[in-house]
Amino acid sequence: MSLETKYNLRSPAVKRLMREASELRNPTEEYYACPVEDNLFEWHFTIRGPPDTEFQGGFYHGRILLPPQYPMQPPNIILLTPNGRFQVNKKICLSISGYHPESWQPSWSIRTALLALIAFMPTEGGSTVGSLDYTKEERHTMARASKKWECSTCGKVADILLNADKGFLPALTEEESSLLQNINLKAEDDPNQKQEVTAVDHDPENTFSEKLPKTTPIVPRARAAVFRKPTYNESVPRTAANCSNADTMMESETNEDTYQVQSQRSTDSSNRCPIEIYAILFVIALILIRRLFFLE
Amino acid sequence: MGDEGENVPANESNDSVVNQDELILAQQRQIEKEISESIPLVGELDSVTSLCKEYSTDDVYLEKIKDLASKYSHVRRTRPDGNCFFRAFSYAILEKLLCDKDSFNTFYKLAENSKNILVELGFQQFTVEDFYETYMEVLKRLSDIDNLDDAKKELHIIFNEQGYSDYMVVYLRLLTSAQLQKEKDFYSCFIEGHRTVVDFCHQEVEPMYKESDHIHIMAACSALNTGVRVLYMDRGVGSSVTQHDLPEGCSPSVHLLYRPGHYDILYP
Repeated sequence: MSLETKYNLRSPAVKRLMREASELRNPTEEYYACPVEDNLFEWHFTIRGPPDTEFQGGFYHGRILLPPQYPMQPPNIILLTPNGRFQVNKKICLSISGYHPESWQPSWSIRTALLALIAFMPTEGGSTVGSLDYTKEERHTMARASKKWECSTCGKVADILLNADKGFLPALTEEESSLLQNINLKAEDDPNQKQEVTAVDHDPENTFSEKLPKTTPIVPRARAAVFRKPTYNESVPRTAANCSNADTMMESETNEDTYQVQSQRSTDSSNRCPIEIYAILFVIALILIRRLFFLE
Repeated sequence: MGDEGENVPANESNDSVVNQDELILAQQRQIEKEISESIPLVGELDSVTSLCKEYSTDDVYLEKIKDLASKYSHVRRTRPDGNCFFRAFSYAILEKLLCDKDSFNTFYKLAENSKNILVELGFQQFTVEDFYETYMEVLKRLSDIDNLDDAKKELHIIFNEQGYSDYMVVYLRLLTSAQLQKEKDFYSCFIEGHRTVVDFCHQEVEPMYKESDHIHIMAACSALNTGVRVLYMDRGVGSSVTQHDLPEGCSPSVHLLYRPGHYDILYP
């Protein structure tokens, strides 16, 4: 095997990952993971959507990035298959909920991380960074579409689990099952990752485009609205004419300025109006007087 | 470190939605990186009076160092990364055992049998085996060296190699956790809050970089069937350092210096 010659076998991390690779070498019906060809510190995995949930029937593929300090520090998981629960191409960290969010334990393994990921899919995403709150229907549609999803490295990933030995599934240890009850996943808020996410939208490999992350665009829009409203209230007099245009004015601040100028002009002319009428009346009166006195 | 303080608010003004927790974590990582670059995992022997340099303007500490120097000649510093107790304790006990072949062999047998206890408690077998094998490999390597000075040198090298050193820490953490769980009725009285002993182990003992308390030390001593004397040095009243033997009344084989948040090894 080429990996054995490439890495220093005396390094505990290398020994550990070789051991994990051999432990996980046979696909199970629920999960499969193996190192990408020449890199022991990057793995690809496939998990089956948990049964009796909107992810049932789905096959989800992703990458596992192992830090050089593994297993002292947790693996990073990145999902590649659109799923409606987690953003794709974004790091998700494994942690235990409760007192300390970052309590990965060296005695856990890649298998533990995958089991946790499966267990965590049906949980509420909430406002956690990296989470998506799609409807059950949307997720179900994505689950069905995921069967056809292909990884550029691993090919059609659903086949790996479908061809696994039926009934081959190592039992959970006591520690694992208690752990799965309070496991937590959270995305790492890494600014570099955001760019990756947007890049995915142009990726032809994705069979359908992932909706834009909901959190990012909403924030600036909300902030903008808060900014503009007070300006509008203070500076523009509330006449019937510009009230009807209020919505258009919200659109841009330059528009607002024009309206302000126009409305000012109109107020001026309405102030001037009676004087002109008096002038006209005066002229008419003059004409009448001239007719009365000079023409007779 | 001063630079980071300036970086943080700068980032904040660029983007007001930036996550404060992430900034704190980033700063923490930066500090950890600086510590790991400047302080070895386990340092060389230093005289106890070398501690004075750290407290040149602090009379309370200087007074206590004088007291400490009357009892101990040398100190060996460890990296303050949250693992200091486990690393210092492991190092000190092995260093001591190297001087006494019989005790070393007894310890070797104790370590040999420890894996089954862990597996019985429900730890994942193949990861436990991973740590166990490395632990035993280190013990084997040390016992194969006949010359005491060479063996001590080898111990020092192993404990400063991040991979091996951390594996030694993990295995002692697992043994400590196992000890706590084995005697959970006794230890549950020492746990604050409404946590069970198992929860406490998952949150405070097994994860790396979690600092140790009295309860960790008691369990670790009991797991390795040994005793430790801890010398407490802080800014508290008095001019002498306080000492505690754990378990009480033992004849300690390891001496540790405790300063708030950190353990180093002491040599009489």
